[in-house]
Amino acid sequence: MTAVEPREDDEAVLDESALVEAPAPEDLPHDDIRSSGSALLEVRGLRAGYGGATVLHGIDVSVAPSEVVVVLGANGAGKTTLLRAIAGLIPHSAGEILVTGDVVKRARPEEMLRRGIGLVPQGRGTLTDLTVRDNLRVGAVTRKDRSGVSADVDRWCEVFPALAKRRDQVAGTLSGGEQQMLAIARAMMARPRLLLCDEVSLGLAPVVVQGLFRVLRELNAESDTALLLVEQNAELALAIASRVYLLEAGTVAASGATEAFRGNDAIRRAYLGY
Amino acid sequence: MSTSPTLVRRNSPLHLTLLAVGALVVVAAIFWGYGLQDFNRGQVTRVMIYAVAIAGLNIASGYSGLISVGHSAFFGLGAYTTGVLVVRYGWSAEWTIPVAFVVCFVAGLIVGLPALRIRGLYLAMVTLAFGVAFPELIGRFDSFTGGAEGLTIRNRMLRPPDWTGFKLGEKDKWLYWVAVVVLLFTMLAVHNLVRSRYGLALVAARDNEIAAAASGVNLAVAKTVAFGVSGALTGIGGSLFAMYLGTLVAGDSFTLLSAISLLTGLVIGGQATRFGPILGAVAVVYIPYYTSDIGQGQAAAVLFGAVLIAIIFVAPEGLTGGFFRLFHKYVVLVPSVAGRTPALRQLKPDPTPEPAAVEELAATRKSN
Amino acid sequence: MEIFLDRLFSGLTSGSIYVLIALALVVVFRSSGTINFAQGEYALFTCFVAWWLTTKGCPLVLAMLVSMVVGFALGVVTERTLIRPIRKRNEAAVLIVALGLFTALNGADGWIWGPEDKVFPHLLPNGLNDYVLIGGARLHYDSIGIFVATGLVIALLALLLNRTPLGLKMRAVATNPESAALSGVKVGNVLSVSWGVSSAIGSFAGVLLVPVLPPNQLNLSGFFPILIFSSAAALLGGLDSIVGAVVGGLVFGVAESMLNGYATFLGGSLQLTVAFAIIVVVLVVKPTGLFGRRRVERV
Repeated sequence: MTAVEPREDDEAVLDESALVEAPAPEDLPHDDIRSSGSALLEVRGLRAGYGGATVLHGIDVSVAPSEVVVVLGANGAGKTTLLRAIAGLIPHSAGEILVTGDVVKRARPEEMLRRGIGLVPQGRGTLTDLTVRDNLRVGAVTRKDRSGVSADVDRWCEVFPALAKRRDQVAGTLSGGEQQMLAIARAMMARPRLLLCDEVSLGLAPVVVQGLFRVLRELNAESDTALLLVEQNAELALAIASRVYLLEAGTVAASGATEAFRGNDAIRRAYLGY
Repeated sequence: MSTSPTLVRRNSPLHLTLLAVGALVVVAAIFWGYGLQDFNRGQVTRVMIYAVAIAGLNIASGYSGLISVGHSAFFGLGAYTTGVLVVRYGWSAEWTIPVAFVVCFVAGLIVGLPALRIRGLYLAMVTLAFGVAFPELIGRFDSFTGGAEGLTIRNRMLRPPDWTGFKLGEKDKWLYWVAVVVLLFTMLAVHNLVRSRYGLALVAARDNEIAAAASGVNLAVAKTVAFGVSGALTGIGGSLFAMYLGTLVAGDSFTLLSAISLLTGLVIGGQATRFGPILGAVAVVYIPYYTSDIGQGQAAAVLFGAVLIAIIFVAPEGLTGGFFRLFHKYVVLVPSVAGRTPALRQLKPDPTPEPAAVEELAATRKSN
Repeated sequence: MEIFLDRLFSGLTSGSIYVLIALALVVVFRSSGTINFAQGEYALFTCFVAWWLTTKGCPLVLAMLVSMVVGFALGVVTERTLIRPIRKRNEAAVLIVALGLFTALNGADGWIWGPEDKVFPHLLPNGLNDYVLIGGARLHYDSIGIFVATGLVIALLALLLNRTPLGLKMRAVATNPESAALSGVKVGNVLSVSWGVSSAIGSFAGVLLVPVLPPNQLNLSGFFPILIFSSAAALLGGLDSIVGAVVGGLVFGVAESMLNGYATFLGGSLQLTVAFAIIVVVLVVKPTGLFGRRRVERV
């Protein structure tokens, strides 16, 4: 049996030959926390897309408080669309989003932020013309406590010393890794209970990425912030996650505990490459 | 849906009959217009003149997506070309039309050059500035142009050529026919341009620049040339306008408000349609005429502005587009089988398909 | 020397007005990425409102404040009802709506108040003897007044943008609306306010402008050229730069004044043509202008 290389799919089209090596869906684990009472975020049957094209065909995902969950999948599987739909950037055509058991009627970014869900967007979304300090302050626009905000600005600069040095520097001049740290800090300024992270490792050197994941793990441990990470770099993400969802062509192909995923030879080969 | 539309095949006998009937109607309308009283015939002439001007604007702003707020300058440039050649150099009016075409084409190329690199918004600024600066330039060269007092073309300079059989005072009748010919020429030119490779690429570029870049057409050149042609056609409209009006005062006829009228006419009639300019011209000529008593003469401007905004919201494709949308509920033109798809028939299937793969493909297609 | 200073003062005066209108254009451009071509007509309309109030006995300063409030309201309403619904469509649609507003407002001015020129009261003293001699040239009081007023607006705008929460939100939306939305900024409201602020500045400029620039009276077509000059100035400075608007406006005003005075071969009445030439040159050579950062070309 030859090892299957991770393939670049064009659209969310299922390439059957790639699955020749992977096990049939029935053989994959499908554990989930289904009771709505204990879940911080629950997504049921979500359909969403852009214009006429549906990308998500009914997604079920949940995240418990303080949990770290990872969503894996190849390009075009719908990972970014999922996060954007949860964050309220794009509307969903069917399904529900529940935060601590309450259905969110119209998911808009302000509303989701109010309920404690923040997004670190793909590509960082840095406010390039503003200083680092102003970027952080923007993250806190929904908060009313002025002194708390400036205290938090200082706190995040402590966590990310690189930012402390560049407090008054224009954010557009920061390196990719620094901008990623800034993006995380900016999202955390709103003190979310759940942080959605869209490919934080994208385009960064391995050393930087390791540092980022260290920070994420600490975030989760110390401030009890749950994390829903979308990643293509599966290895590092799995190191800090407790549960994994596998997205394929807009549906959840598999889900379960991290160890189960690592233990599953076929998945490991298909998605982790060894 | 209650009933599906009737399909009419292109080039079928039914189609050709309908086209012939349409042509007859047009010919009848032309002669009917000619037979009207002097004033009304003059109004129809004016509609044709503006239709030519708006058709020119249509090429830039309708088909190519290059919004121009300064086409009054091309209109004026064509008018003054005719005026100066007739008054100062004694040309006979008809021969000035091709000259106006060339002069305005060159001017259009120059003004359109920035289109090579900048977004539509900025090009609009350039055209706006051009349109507003035009009366100023006319004033500067007043030895030619008569400056602020204007240029008057006496009727005797506009006498119809002898071969037409018209007498000296019958300039208006002669002009009517000239306008008909120029309008037909313009519509033919637009028709051919739009269906050419360049035209198709320009329309594609208007909607999606990146996709159009793959068409193999040099978009930058196409856009600039399109702007040139646009200016040229509006210019020959201006040429006719000079013959129609006889007196040119830049500060009155070729101002920003006239540029906006042209654009308004285009939007009302329907951008990127072949008949839109004619409908638009009707609006541009008759709305001010019928509202001239209301609101101290300002009602037309308010109406134009309001209609412009309303159309963008309600019916962005204008009157013509709206008409065709309705029309297509009942009749749809379908390509003829014979001439239209030779390329498809030449496609050969893959010589050595893998039997298993083909069956798998068939299986997946069925399950979808 | 006096002639040079004379020209300088005159250029700085008209330049200040261009700065104000350019600032209005820049505020809208930074937030919505488009130029409000109807800006001049908003200013004109509110000017008429102010004029009408003064004919009813209202003191000019109060009339001016009212006109600024009306301008603000116009801007907010426009953004919300006319611009926002079609912004997603294409920018040609936004342009055409702006032109429609331009035409309709101009016509409405004539319809409501009549097309004749109106005498507009002077805010600042501008009698023949109201000046200060500097270096032999006359610096009129009303010019000083305009400098001060413009400086005040610049300072207030800078304060708004850099030191207030609203200003932070405006700057965030101007840079990256999606990120701003993700942080909980109500982007729609910020856009409306931006348009309102822009209009209010324009209204202020309009009232200052009428007594200063020829023909010193309120008429229907007086603001067309100002819009062109201010657009050229804003473009020169960089459409997304506040600093650029200030520099561009002053440079343009002074350059125009100098050209008028010294380059008489141009006939002295080619200002619009010069503006046109500047617009073309800037767009061809450096589309982002002197201080702008946003890239201007399409992808």
